[in-house]
Amino acid sequence: MQNLDKMLAEFAQQKLEKQTRRHFLMDCVAKVGGLAMAPLMFGCGTGSSELNLSQRDLNPLSPLPPPYGAKAKSIIYLHMAGAPSQLELFDFKPELAKYHNQPCPQSLLEGKKFAFIRGVPKMLGPQANFSQHGESGAWISDYMPHFQKLADEVSFLKAVHTDQFNHGPAQLLMQTGSARLGRPSLGSWVTYGLGTENQNLPGFVVLTSGGKTPDAGKSVWGSGFLPSVYQGVQCRSKGDPVLYLDDPEGMSRNLKKNVIDAINTVNKEEFNAYGDPEILARINQYEMAYRMQIEVPEVMNITDEPESIHQLYGTKPGAESLANNCLLARKLVEKGVRFVQLYDWGWDTHGTDHDGSIDMGLRNKCREMDRPVSALLLDLKQRGLLEDTLVVWGGEFGRTPMQENREGKTQSFLGRDHHGDAFTMWMAGGGIKPGVTYGRTDDFGFSGIEDKVSVHDIHATILHLMGFDHEQFTYEFQGRPFRLTDVEGELINKILA
Amino acid sequence: MNNLKVAGLLSLAIILGITGLLIFGQEKEVDFSTQIKPILNKNCISCHGGVKKNGGFSVLFEEEAFAKTESGHPAIIPGDPNGSELIKRLTASDPEVRMPYERTPLSEDEIDLLKTWIKQGAKWGKHWAYDPVQTPEIAEQRTTAGFTSDNNPSAINSIDFYIGKKLEENGLAFSKEEKPLRLLRRAALDITGLPPSKELLTQYSSQRISYEQAVDQLLSSPTYGEKWATWWLDLARYADTKGYERDVSRTMWPYRDYVIRALNADKPFDDFTIEQLAGDLLPNPTEEQLAATAFHRNTMNNDEGGTNDEEFRVAAVLDRVSTTFEVWQSTTMACVQCHSHPYDPIRHEEFYQSAAFFNNSRDEDTHDEEPRLRFYSPEEKKEIESVLAWVKTNESAKAVAERKNFLTYLEPKYPSHNAVDFTNAELIDTKWLGIQANGSAYLRKVDTRSSDQLLINYGSGLNGSEMTIRNGGPEGEILAAFSINKTDGDIIRAIPFKPTNGLIDLYLEVKNPTVRSEQNAAKFVWFAFVPTLAGKDKPGFRNIQNSWETILDFKGTKLPIMIENPDYMAREMHVFERGNWMMLGDKVNPETPKVLNDWNPEWPKNRLGFAYWLTDKENPLTSRTLVNRVWDQLFGRGIVSSLEDMGTQSDPPSHPALLDYLAWKTMNEYDWSIKSLIREIVTSDTYKQSSAVSAELFKKDPQNKWYARGPRFRLNAEQIRDQALAVSGLLSDKMYGPGVKPHQPEGIWQTVYNGQSWKESEGEDAHRRGIYTFLKRTSPYPSFITFDAASREVCLSRRIVTNTPLQALVTLNDPVYLEAAYYLAEDMIKQDASKPTKGIAYGYQKLVLNPISDTKLEALSNLYNEALIEYKDKPDSLRTFFSIQDKSTNPEQAAMSVVANALLNMDEFLTKP
Repeated sequence: MQNLDKMLAEFAQQKLEKQTRRHFLMDCVAKVGGLAMAPLMFGCGTGSSELNLSQRDLNPLSPLPPPYGAKAKSIIYLHMAGAPSQLELFDFKPELAKYHNQPCPQSLLEGKKFAFIRGVPKMLGPQANFSQHGESGAWISDYMPHFQKLADEVSFLKAVHTDQFNHGPAQLLMQTGSARLGRPSLGSWVTYGLGTENQNLPGFVVLTSGGKTPDAGKSVWGSGFLPSVYQGVQCRSKGDPVLYLDDPEGMSRNLKKNVIDAINTVNKEEFNAYGDPEILARINQYEMAYRMQIEVPEVMNITDEPESIHQLYGTKPGAESLANNCLLARKLVEKGVRFVQLYDWGWDTHGTDHDGSIDMGLRNKCREMDRPVSALLLDLKQRGLLEDTLVVWGGEFGRTPMQENREGKTQSFLGRDHHGDAFTMWMAGGGIKPGVTYGRTDDFGFSGIEDKVSVHDIHATILHLMGFDHEQFTYEFQGRPFRLTDVEGELINKILA
Repeated sequence: MNNLKVAGLLSLAIILGITGLLIFGQEKEVDFSTQIKPILNKNCISCHGGVKKNGGFSVLFEEEAFAKTESGHPAIIPGDPNGSELIKRLTASDPEVRMPYERTPLSEDEIDLLKTWIKQGAKWGKHWAYDPVQTPEIAEQRTTAGFTSDNNPSAINSIDFYIGKKLEENGLAFSKEEKPLRLLRRAALDITGLPPSKELLTQYSSQRISYEQAVDQLLSSPTYGEKWATWWLDLARYADTKGYERDVSRTMWPYRDYVIRALNADKPFDDFTIEQLAGDLLPNPTEEQLAATAFHRNTMNNDEGGTNDEEFRVAAVLDRVSTTFEVWQSTTMACVQCHSHPYDPIRHEEFYQSAAFFNNSRDEDTHDEEPRLRFYSPEEKKEIESVLAWVKTNESAKAVAERKNFLTYLEPKYPSHNAVDFTNAELIDTKWLGIQANGSAYLRKVDTRSSDQLLINYGSGLNGSEMTIRNGGPEGEILAAFSINKTDGDIIRAIPFKPTNGLIDLYLEVKNPTVRSEQNAAKFVWFAFVPTLAGKDKPGFRNIQNSWETILDFKGTKLPIMIENPDYMAREMHVFERGNWMMLGDKVNPETPKVLNDWNPEWPKNRLGFAYWLTDKENPLTSRTLVNRVWDQLFGRGIVSSLEDMGTQSDPPSHPALLDYLAWKTMNEYDWSIKSLIREIVTSDTYKQSSAVSAELFKKDPQNKWYARGPRFRLNAEQIRDQALAVSGLLSDKMYGPGVKPHQPEGIWQTVYNGQSWKESEGEDAHRRGIYTFLKRTSPYPSFITFDAASREVCLSRRIVTNTPLQALVTLNDPVYLEAAYYLAEDMIKQDASKPTKGIAYGYQKLVLNPISDTKLEALSNLYNEALIEYKDKPDSLRTFFSIQDKSTNPEQAAMSVVANALLNMDEFLTKP
């Protein structure tokens, strides 16, 4: 009984205090209310400072300084979904040519599992012509004539390995650090850790080409256990660039502004009455949405780019192409987007048909990629953006030096099966030492024999360049701290500038 | 802080300390769980426990902590703190010796605490979460002048007693009660996911019924099950597709319907648990009990070419273990898969002992997802009865049971992917056995049950093949020989078979002289050994035989379910070294973790026994987990805030006594009734408080952890859409059935190797509740994902609530919300066409059940007037207004729709009041 009396007394006391407090808040918010469409400022001893709110409480994407010195501000990650053949692009294996059409030595097959190869397949020599380029003397094939000229801009990782040999799990591992679903993607980690510079655009943008999303679906840009605000936002070439971005039929821009003003006036009064800071955050989000409606279509529109740029990239406005996406990637990082992820589908060259053949289909596919990707590097460089932008290129695994013999049968086209033991990736830009070739594979390009790097090592290095120690960058979930690199990952020091 | 102050504080501390000693006479006993374990977990366990045991010392398990270390002596000597190596190492001055190595030393307080603990005998204790729920000292029901209403004396319920006590300790107090109609809206949204119905609103606002009666009405509404199913389906990882790369559709909706029905029937949570985990093992399981087991068939199924079915069968088994422990025990088992749990006292091998319960189901990641429960029509059921009656007359009761089971879910059978040793044969797409002309393969270790008949499921595009099945090999006895011709898709066919005893290897061989090689003569799906019907010479046999064949060929709804292996198909479970399924360690038997409740020897050592173990009242975690999650649904925060984990690493409970009180009451007084639990919570004064918060209170308790105010948080994805449809009169009340596909933008579904497309639902199916929306794992309904709904690939205990501009775009521009605005506007205009302000006030009140204020009315009226001027000015924009094609629009309707659009976006509408 005593307790209750006390509670009652306290309640009365509190009520009194609340009244005075509320009065104060009302004044404050009334001041904010005047600035209808301007970004909300919370400096005036208003709601937020009174409530001890951080910028993050009002806007979970507000930028944060990197915990350690960052070498890059943003990332463009070019993922060639389906896994391009390193043996036709970068990993030159003259010895393999000698074994062309010979049965594969048993030593390569023992204890190995392949997705489709059965029994003893034949070896498949390189189908492209290789030459060395630049001062670095990097090997690049004639499938990529433009890229040959950029040999000195990038750092090659020739002995990357993964333990997954099916697309879905391998893409998940490459993008989330785990082959099983449920972990946040690299882009989510980075935007969670750093927020984004431009609040009128999403912080983590995903662009797809090739007509399909990656095998592992949208989980490769999912936020896993991180709040969903950090998941990738897919910007599309057809329809609304961001879902529900367009105003409805019959709603003018001016009217939309009035709608948002009205909503926010109502919400401000609700805040005065209820004091829940989430309402302030919502007011903020509605204003951001309005600005996003203007800025996203602007940045996604490439028609205003000069002809020289279209020439450079090979872009055609309206197309859903890797070329358009490369140009968009440049525009997005230029505008302060933190993480731009490109997926290009159609690299799964099993040799089951013409498009999937190593000698013909892959050559065409490379043609679609060579020019825009080279253009992207050049364009970033000429704008001074490359030094702050980390560019990563790769697939989810590599391909076998053996010719695929699906279900033990000879195929009508030349193809290579999935292979995770050794493949090539490259990085360029912010914090990367240009012109390095790191890692070496055996004479068949089957396994790494020197300076091997794992998927986790790549993640550790990317996080390092963005200003994180991958071992300390954690998120508490299910009673334990989780990391992108789990319990693994070492920095690839040799490619750091 | 200046030195003087520090000195003052210190002397105060000393005085208090001395007083403490004087009062208590001796030092207070140190509690292991709350005082020692946190120190060990924070400072020691990362190197001394679980994965690492540096120096041979571990503080994970009691026997390890007191065992001899590599030095030959134990590190902790009970009663002798100064002789204990543990203390010596913590206090050493040599940095090479001092622990924690290369990290900041422990504070003096911490070291003192450890010393006292050792001095007092170093008693190891169990974490609170592993102790069974004790009978609580139930708070006296007392009557007093109510502190939430000024006039009516009211009884304080026990929840309020526990909450009140903590409020007092924290210098806080209850807020006043929420306004009646806002409170009703809160309760209705929480219980049914929808605003209160018109009838309920009338009854309640005219005070014909009390709040408690309103709550009872809400709880008995069928919409209750639809709301709470969302919560359960997140845990059950329910979806309408298989997941992984191809992510094709599967039929799981009968399970969703089971959950809705079970919740509406208030099926006691223990039965609900037992049916879902082991309904198939109950005696004579009903169709409903079998359907419930689909809970664990919600695991993903991988159709990607080149994947090994066994690998993904194992992945599903491990997921079932992890999910079961997360759903019922708030325990994360994923870590224990690879090594002993670094924080919780569950051992590596115990994970696999638990897995042994789940490793014996028939499903094998096959493409067809067998075994599947067949939902027969009443006519078909009659036909089955006649077949079974025939078997009863002509054979044994056992034969009846076996035949009934086979007709119910087609088990046992052998999937063709078990075939090995191919010659001119293959596993097509690593899924089905394909044998070419002149090819062969083996099906090893098969028990044909002395059957005189083989049923095969196969398909062929060729005529003129001859198939022979021999015992053991190419020279073995012929057990069956038959021709294979072109089929219309896959068919089930009965083949005479020579009865054989015991486990044998079947040699399967196909010949076809006319066909070139490298073309499959047939694709086989499965093989089953089911004897022919007895009584062939009796009258009426032909009819029975026909019925049997018709039923076997059933083409209707089939739901993947759990069915236990018969003894002769049982699998052994082994520990996987470092979690790798290819690296088998020791064999393990089904056992439950030692740290939890004891096993009752009367329980069967299978999933059913496991379910009994989970729902035993001695199990410390099941009831606490349930209570914690239901509380979270209502308050937006659990009593233990880490919903997925109640182990030693979890956040401590904010109200331990309340948690245990509710857990005890749910088991013992409510007989596991979830509705009763919800009723008790929502009728508490704690729940009924106003959610208004002052800056001061917010600073003291930003997360509302002590409940000095009512819960206020954004509605979930499904509720937001349901509510908009409800207030605009569009919502369909149709229940159950296959998932529906309301409008979504084009180009969302772009899955590789999958030709399926989103075909928009028509009629009322376009406006069903969110729970019925088709959920494709790799491409969920986009606006739900924007509002933090799950893609349901894995079990999810808690949706994190976010607040983003993309959400604003959904409710502003998604066609379904525009449609809702349009129809809401129609209703608003109807109030008084000549006075738009009246319509606006009406609309506002309809949405939030509170009269509109002058400021809000003014803002919205201005919006109306601006819109009206614009539409009168530009009549062109009315033609396709909001893309509502079949409706003509006038400027007034359009302007009001714009206002309604704003109303549907108000924070107070999107938020539980």
